[in-house]
Amino acid sequence: MPQDTAQSRAVRSFFAAGTPPPDATAVCRGLSCELNGAAGVERRAAAAGPTARVHCFGYCDRAPAARVAAGEVLYGAAALALPRPAIPGAERLDVRCLARRAVVTERLGAGAHHDLGAARRAGVYAALEAGLAMGAERLLSLLEDSGELGRGGAGYPTGAKWRACATAVGPRRYVVANGDEGDPGAFIDRALLEEDPHAVIEGLALCALAVGASEGIVFIRAEYPQAQARMALAITQAREAGILGPAVLGYRFAFDLRVVSGHGSYVCGEETALLNAIEGDRGEVRVRPPYPARTGLYGCPTVVNNIETLVNVPWIVREGAAAYRRLGVAAAPGTKAFCLGRGFARPGIVEAEFGVSLREMVEQHAGGSRDGQPLRAVVLGGPMGSVLTPAEWDVPLEPAALRRHGIRLGHGGLVPIPASADLPALLLNWAQFMALESCGKCAPCALGSREVVDLVGQIGSAGGRRRLVELQQLLATVEAASLCGFGQGLPRPLLKLATLALGPGGG
Amino acid sequence: MADLTLQIDGERFTAEPGETLLAVARRCGRGASIPTLCNLPGLPAEGGCRLCVVSIEGEAGPVAACSTPVRAGMVVATHTAALEALRRDVLGMMLRAHPAAGRLAGDDGGRQSGEFRALLERYGLADPAPRQSAAPAVSATHPYLRFRPDLCITCRRCVQFCDEVQGQSVFAVGGRGAAVRLLFGADERFEHSPCVSCGGCVDVCPTGALTDVDRLRPGATGTAVRTVCAYCGVGCNIDVAVAEGAVHHVSGTLEAAVNRGHLCAKGRYAHAWTRSPERLKSPLLRTTTGFRPVSWPQALELAARELGDIRAAHGPDALGVMTSSRSTNEAAYLLQKLFRAVIGTNNVDCCARVCHSSTALALTMATGTGAASASYADIERARTIVVAGANPTVAHPVLGARIRQAVRRGARLIVIDPRRTELCEHARPHLQIEPGTNVAAFNAMAAVLVEEGLWNRAYVAERCEGFEEFAASLDEREAVVAAAVCGVPAEALREAARSLAAAGPALFVTGLGLSELVQGTDSVLALVNLALLTGSIGVPGAGLLPLRGQNNVQGNADMGAAPGTVTGYQSLADPEARERLRRVWGSAPPSAAGLTIPGMLAAARSGTLQGLWVQGEDLMQSDPNEAQVRAALTRLRFLVVQELFMTETARLAHLVLPAAGALEQEGTFTNGERRVQRVRAAVRPPGEARPDWTVARDVARALGADWRYEDPAAVMDEIAGVAPGLFGGLRYSRLEGDGLQWPCPDGAHPGTATLHAGRFQRGRGRFSVVRHQGRSEARTATWPYILITGRDLQHYNVGSMTRRTPNIDLAGGDQLVVHPQDAAACGLRAGEWAEIESRHGRARARTRLSDEVRPGTLFLSFHFPETHANALTGGQLDPQSQCPDYKVTAVRLRAINAGGHEAGEGAS
Repeated sequence: MPQDTAQSRAVRSFFAAGTPPPDATAVCRGLSCELNGAAGVERRAAAAGPTARVHCFGYCDRAPAARVAAGEVLYGAAALALPRPAIPGAERLDVRCLARRAVVTERLGAGAHHDLGAARRAGVYAALEAGLAMGAERLLSLLEDSGELGRGGAGYPTGAKWRACATAVGPRRYVVANGDEGDPGAFIDRALLEEDPHAVIEGLALCALAVGASEGIVFIRAEYPQAQARMALAITQAREAGILGPAVLGYRFAFDLRVVSGHGSYVCGEETALLNAIEGDRGEVRVRPPYPARTGLYGCPTVVNNIETLVNVPWIVREGAAAYRRLGVAAAPGTKAFCLGRGFARPGIVEAEFGVSLREMVEQHAGGSRDGQPLRAVVLGGPMGSVLTPAEWDVPLEPAALRRHGIRLGHGGLVPIPASADLPALLLNWAQFMALESCGKCAPCALGSREVVDLVGQIGSAGGRRRLVELQQLLATVEAASLCGFGQGLPRPLLKLATLALGPGGG
Repeated sequence: MADLTLQIDGERFTAEPGETLLAVARRCGRGASIPTLCNLPGLPAEGGCRLCVVSIEGEAGPVAACSTPVRAGMVVATHTAALEALRRDVLGMMLRAHPAAGRLAGDDGGRQSGEFRALLERYGLADPAPRQSAAPAVSATHPYLRFRPDLCITCRRCVQFCDEVQGQSVFAVGGRGAAVRLLFGADERFEHSPCVSCGGCVDVCPTGALTDVDRLRPGATGTAVRTVCAYCGVGCNIDVAVAEGAVHHVSGTLEAAVNRGHLCAKGRYAHAWTRSPERLKSPLLRTTTGFRPVSWPQALELAARELGDIRAAHGPDALGVMTSSRSTNEAAYLLQKLFRAVIGTNNVDCCARVCHSSTALALTMATGTGAASASYADIERARTIVVAGANPTVAHPVLGARIRQAVRRGARLIVIDPRRTELCEHARPHLQIEPGTNVAAFNAMAAVLVEEGLWNRAYVAERCEGFEEFAASLDEREAVVAAAVCGVPAEALREAARSLAAAGPALFVTGLGLSELVQGTDSVLALVNLALLTGSIGVPGAGLLPLRGQNNVQGNADMGAAPGTVTGYQSLADPEARERLRRVWGSAPPSAAGLTIPGMLAAARSGTLQGLWVQGEDLMQSDPNEAQVRAALTRLRFLVVQELFMTETARLAHLVLPAAGALEQEGTFTNGERRVQRVRAAVRPPGEARPDWTVARDVARALGADWRYEDPAAVMDEIAGVAPGLFGGLRYSRLEGDGLQWPCPDGAHPGTATLHAGRFQRGRGRFSVVRHQGRSEARTATWPYILITGRDLQHYNVGSMTRRTPNIDLAGGDQLVVHPQDAAACGLRAGEWAEIESRHGRARARTRLSDEVRPGTLFLSFHFPETHANALTGGQLDPQSQCPDYKVTAVRLRAINAGGHEAGEGAS
C-alpha cells in the first residue's frame, strides 16, 4: 500500500478543522444565528448528542440554523426546538425588488426555475444564444462597456478581468464560479444556486465564450448541500439539452462544467485559496501577483467570478450595456441584492440599485428592528465588513462612496445588532471565527488571531480599557501586516465592536 | 522597454523586468537589512512571515517586498519607524508562539539556523536568560536528520526548498491558523517519506528545528575548509568544518558555481569513513601468512627495487599502472610521468577506460575533444534536454535536481533509458528501449529528422561534414526496424524525434548507459549525429554533457592516464609534444601506445605483464568478470596497491600503501564540465597514510629521478608547461573560488564554458555512419533476462567509503530490481534473496519489485563486495574503446532463502 504523504495529511488536516463529524448536530454560530439564539441551540443539542460549530448555512434571514445529523438544515423555530424533532422550513425567503428593473432576482421566489424547462420558458439561455452569435470580442467589449463590478466584495470590473484572462498566454483557460459564499449575513448566492442555477450556467458559459475557455467549475461550499444538488442537476439537464458539451447550442464552441464542493473553510472564498482547494491543495491564499487571470487554476489563465456577478451577465447581454448603465450610479452600474438578517422587521433579499442609502435600506425596506427597539448597529458586508451605528447610516450603498467612508460593502449582507445583544459574547464569537478560519499561511493573521481571542476574553474583566488599547495595537499589526483580505479585513470591525462593547458603562 | 528605475530609501536603482523589490534590494546590496524568515533567494515568494514589509509612496498600507514586483518610478521606504514597529510586533508574535526557538542560540543547526535568534536580538526581543537546549528531537530514527518541533516556526523554507530545489516534496504544513505545524512523510519519520537525505532543509531552517546528528554534536571550531566533494564527477564544492582534528560537518558552498550550496546525502553526510578503524595506517608487506607493517622508507625502497628489477629483466612494458580517478590531477600526472618518463612504458590507464572511454573516443572522433562541450549552467539555459543512458537524480543527484527544476520551469525533457528513472515523470516522451539498442533508436530519430526536414540546414552546411553519406545510410524504414529492435513503438520514436526538434538546439546529458556497451562508441556517435542535426554543439544552452562517474575521472584522462595520449590529450606521435616532454621531463615516452586496463589484465594473465601499480581502484569489485580479474592479479610478480582500505584488490597485493583520502590531501580535481577546482586537506590522514602524489614522487626519486616538487602547486605549474594548449593558464593562484574550465591556454584566459563555439576543435563536426549490430548477449531460453548494472543513490561505486558511514543504514545492501511479473514467474517475493547467474558467474542480492524495469530486464547495483555483481558481467569489450559491456548481460534468476540456500519444500 502506498505510504501516506505529508501533502495529503496537510490537506486533510486543513479541512478537518471546518468539517463537522457526520454524526454531529452542526450548529451555525455565524453572526445572524449568534444574535438569534444559536448558543442556546448548541447547548440544548449538546445535551442530546455530539455537536459541532459551523459558520453560516445561508439562512441568516430565518436564523438560527442547524444541520441535524441526518443532513437536513433546520432554521428558525425548527432549529430553536432542537433536539426535539420539528417540521422544518415553514418560513419562506422573502424576495423584493426596488430597482426599476430586476436583474438578479427576476426569477427568485417565483416558481421552480431550477428546472431547465421552466428556466428556458423564463428566458434563460436566450442570452447565451445571443452571445454565441455575437462572438468573443464583442462579448468582451460589451462587458467592459457595461461597467459591471464584481459582486464578491473586491468590486473589480468584470470586463477587465475577462480581458486580462482572454489575452493571457496559457495552454488552456478556465472559468470558475465562486459559490463559496462564506460571509455570515449573505445568502443571495445560495438563493441563486438553488433557484436559478441555469442563470449561473448561462453566465459562466458566456464568460467561457468570451475568454476562450472550454472547462468551467462551480465551486460551492459544503454548507450548501441543496445548492450543490440543484446545480449538479442543472448541469446534467443542460448537458442533455446540448447547452453544455462539445457543441454548445449547436455552435462550434465546446464548454462543460462540474461542481466542486468546498470542505468547510471560509478563506476558500478568496479566489486563490479557492483555486488551491479545487486543485486538491490546502485552501490557503496564494501570493499575488500573479493574479488568476494570468496564472490561475493549474497555472492556467482563469476567471474567478462570484455567482451574483455571473447572473448579471446574461441580463447585460440580453438588454445591452446602455440599459445596464441606466441602473445604479455612474461608478457602479446595475443593482445589488442586499441580504437582510433576521433581526430586521422584514428580513430577506432586497434587490436595489446601487446608490440607495443605508438608512433608507435599514429603516424603510428592512423595516427597522424586529423587536421595535432602536438598533445598536448594523453589520454590513459580513465579518470582514463594517459595524455601523445609526449615526453612520447616511451613506449611499455603492462601493466607491462607501470606500471614501472607509466602509466595505462586501457581499451586501446586512445583519442588525439589536439593543439587547450581548456585545462581549458577540465579540468573542467573532474573534473565535477569525482564529478558526485563519488559514495559517501568514504569521500575523495565524498567530495574531489567537492572541486576539485571548485578549478579547479578558476585555469583559477588570482592566478592560487597558486591554482595549492592547487589542487596538494588536489588530493594527494584523491589519497592516497580513497577506490577504481576511487578516487585513477582520481587525477593523472587531475593534469597532470591541469599542461598542466597552462603550458607556463598559469596563 | 521602459526604464525600470526606482528609489529605495532615497537611492536610485535600476531593476530587471519581473524582479521583486526584495530581489532588487538584494542585488544592490540592500537585502541584508530587510528581514525575512520565509524567503529563499531565487525561489518564488512564500509571503508568509511578513517581515519584509516596506512602504511605497502612494499606497495605503505596507507591502511585502518579497512578492511585490518592481514598477518604474516606485519610491520605496524600507525602514520607517512604523515598519520597524510592525516587524517587531510580528516577531513578538512568533516568539510568544514559539518561546523555545527564542531561547536557543541556533548554533547547532544548519548555516542559517541563527537567523531567528539574530532577528530577535536586532529587535530587542531576545531573552537574555541563559540559552537552553531544545526538547529532544523527534524522528530520531533517521541516520542523520533530526527535527525538534518546539523550535519550528513553520516558516516553510524547508517545504519550499524540498519542493523547488530537491524536488522530493517531503514536507507540508498541516492544520490551520495558529495550529499549523510541519508535517513530513507519513508520520514525521524521514524514512517514511521520499526524503533523499540531501540535508538542504537543514541549511535553510532559520531556527535549527531541522538539524542533523553532525550539527548537534558539540565542538565545531574555526573556519571551514572549502574543497570539492569526491563522490561523483559533478564536483560540488563543500565546506568542511573540523573539530578535534576530525570532520565535524559538511555544508555545500553557497557561492560555488557548480552546486550553489546544494549537496546530496553522500556529499553532505558520508564522511565517517575518514575516521573508520579499518583505515590503512601503515605500509603493509605481504608475507606467507598475511601482511606485516613496514616503514615508508622500506616500502618505497621495495617498490622501486621490484619495479626496477622487472624492467631490467623483462623491459619496461612488463610494467603497468592504473591511476586513481578518485585522486588528484597532480597524483595522476606524476604517476603517469613516473611510468612514461622514468620507467619508459605507455602502459598507463585509469578507470575512464571502464566508464566513459567510449564517450571520450566518440566525441574526439566527431568533434575533436573527448569531453563535455557544454557546462552545467547550460541546464538552466536549455529549452530541450535529452537524458540518455543516465540516471542523474540517483547517480549525480545535484545535477539531477537541477535538471528537474529546469524541466519544471518549462524545459522540454526527452529520456532514453531502459529504466523508468525518476526524471521520466517529466519526460516527453520516455523511450524505454531494450538495453544496448541505442544506435537503432538514435538512427531512427535521425531518420525522422531528415525525412521530415526537421534538421538545422544552416548549421550542418556551415559547421559539419559527412552529412550526405550519413543521410544516405538511413532509410525510411528506420523507425519500423528500430521499433522491433528497441521494443518501443515506431510512433514513439517519431514522437521523440519531433519533440527533440521542436525547440531548437538541445542539451544532451548522457551516462554510462551509452558508453558501457559493446557498441558504446557507436552509441555516442549516433547521439552526436542527433546533436549535429539539431545544431546543438557549440552554442549556449545546448551541447553534449556526459556525466562523469568518479570525482576526478575527467582529470585522470586529462593528465594522460591513457595508453595512447599523454597529458592534455597530446598524441604520442606529435613531434611538438615530444619535444616539450623531452624539455620538461628529460625524455619522451615511447611513441607506440601502451595497454589499456583490459589489455593489461590480459597481459598479466598471459604472463607478459609482471608488475602493476594500482592506485585507489578496486578492480576485483568494479571490473567485469571477477574470475578473470583474479586470475590476472594473482599471476603478477609484483602488485602494489595504494588504498584507503583493505579492498578485495588490496588483499591480492604484495605491497599495500596507505593513502590519504579526498578530505585529507591537497591538489585539484576536474569535474565533468572541464572545471579544474582546488582540493584542500581539511583533516590529516590517519597514521602514516600519505597523499598520493608524494608516493609517486618518492618512488621516482628512489629510482634515481631528480624530482623536486615541494607541493602540488609546483606539479600544476609543470602540467601547464607540458600541455599549454589546454592547461597553459592553470596556476593555483587562479584556482581560488570556482576554478577554471579548460581549455585555458594562458594566464589571462578566463576558461571555456562552451567548447566548439564557432568552430569545432577538429574543424568540422563529423557525422558518422553507424549501424546497430545486435547485442553482446541475447536472451535465450537458458538466460532469459538481460541484466543492467549501475549505482544506487546512497553509495558510491565499490562502496568502500560510503559503506563505512551511516549511509549503510539508509541502504544496507545491493538490490536486484525485478519486474513483478518476472518475480512471480520465478517465485520471488519482495525483499527475498535471489541468485543471479550468468555465463560468467553468480551473484546474489535482495529483490526489490518494481515496474521501473520492463519485464525481462533486471537491474543490480555493485556497491557491496559480497554481492559479486561483477562476477556476472562478461569480458565483452567495445572493440574501439575497449570499454567493457556492463549494461547487457544475459542471466537467469532463482529464489534462495536468507541463509543463501535454495528455497525448497523443506525450508521453513
